[in-house]
Amino acid sequence: MTTPKTALLIIGSAKPAGQSTSEALGNYLAQRLQERGIVMTTQHVARALRTEERAAALLAAADAADIVLLAFPLYVDGLPYLATQALERIAAHRLSQPAPRPAAFLAIANCGFPEAAHNATALAICREFADAAGFAWAGGLALGEGGAIGGRPLAVVGGMAHNVVAALDLVAAALAEGKPAPTEAITRMARPFIPARAYMLMGNLGWLSQARRNRVFTRLGARPFRPAARERQP
Amino acid sequence: MNATILNGALPGDSFVDAVGTALQEALRAAGWTVAPWTLRDAKSAYCLGCFECWTKTPGQCRIADAGRDVAASVIGSDLAIYLTPITFGGYSSELKKVVDRIICLISPFFTHINGEVHHRARYDRYPVLLGVGVLPAPHPAQEQIFHTLIGRNAINMHVPAHHSAVVYRDQDPATAATALRNTRHLTERVSA
Repeated sequence: MTTPKTALLIIGSAKPAGQSTSEALGNYLAQRLQERGIVMTTQHVARALRTEERAAALLAAADAADIVLLAFPLYVDGLPYLATQALERIAAHRLSQPAPRPAAFLAIANCGFPEAAHNATALAICREFADAAGFAWAGGLALGEGGAIGGRPLAVVGGMAHNVVAALDLVAAALAEGKPAPTEAITRMARPFIPARAYMLMGNLGWLSQARRNRVFTRLGARPFRPAARERQP
Repeated sequence: MNATILNGALPGDSFVDAVGTALQEALRAAGWTVAPWTLRDAKSAYCLGCFECWTKTPGQCRIADAGRDVAASVIGSDLAIYLTPITFGGYSSELKKVVDRIICLISPFFTHINGEVHHRARYDRYPVLLGVGVLPAPHPAQEQIFHTLIGRNAINMHVPAHHSAVVYRDQDPATAATALRNTRHLTERVSA
């Protein structure tokens, strides 16, 4: 990997711009790379894949980048639909070229479980994508307890996110020198914000609070699709 | 017994369609009722990540389209089959679109399973899960990811049993029926 000059950040969340934890993580890294003189471009998959014209712009941005970053939320043990489609398109596009631009690919996954390890399968998929599409794999970062960030910029999250900030600072320094993410960054990113039991308690209370607000508190366990006869008898 | 087949073939992938047809025929020959979904033809939105299927319309997505119908079909089945071209080890975008939509079948609340945090079950009974992945040729790394992915989905979806198999494009599409035979017997035992 040579010293990069340009980078593309792909936000793989389906949420509107400015609302996702993926964007908070990706933006922080993008800002650190910009400070190191790398020209950044950002694409949101929810917007980029809405029309063929925008999809073409996404592919052109990928063609112009020395580093492609993908920040995404974990959906059912994998990448969300839109991020999956983006990778399919980028791979097909690069494979159609006689000599695609040498570039690095780094992925940042975040999940709502306490354990960052839930992201492992999705990051393995990202690594296979990098290999298939001719990117140099620059590493995969996994974050658990993503709900604690809740889409807020890391500067707003404050001290709780110090390991995340430190990890992304290390990644920015490495990428700017043409190196992959260091092991220390991957390790620090995976450290939980708070103990798992506390996170679970807060999460469960959060669901109850939202249900109360939506006036469905007593129906949270509803089973709208299952005929009663199919349930096991107590 | 009944099965739901989620065919995640991308447009023009006649081989994956042929595997789907072979699976349907084998199930019907055994007396099963089959709900086959060719997902690229289904009118389904993608998951917006709003969690309203947990906190506003509990148990179902607020978007009334094929994605909601697929969720109903899956939970109403004894066997759910995820059929997909293996895409970097994972599912195709067509399959992933509806898999993302079926989180309404589980509860938002956390629990521990094998020392790891997952969401609780919403229903008392879930279908057996069979994953059938298609690759151009053997690819150990991607096959391992695919098997792991099916296993992880099985935990998160609280299925009573799961199995996964890989079919290569130079094989007879009916090869998939071999994996199906074992899973069918497993499903019949689980459902008995």
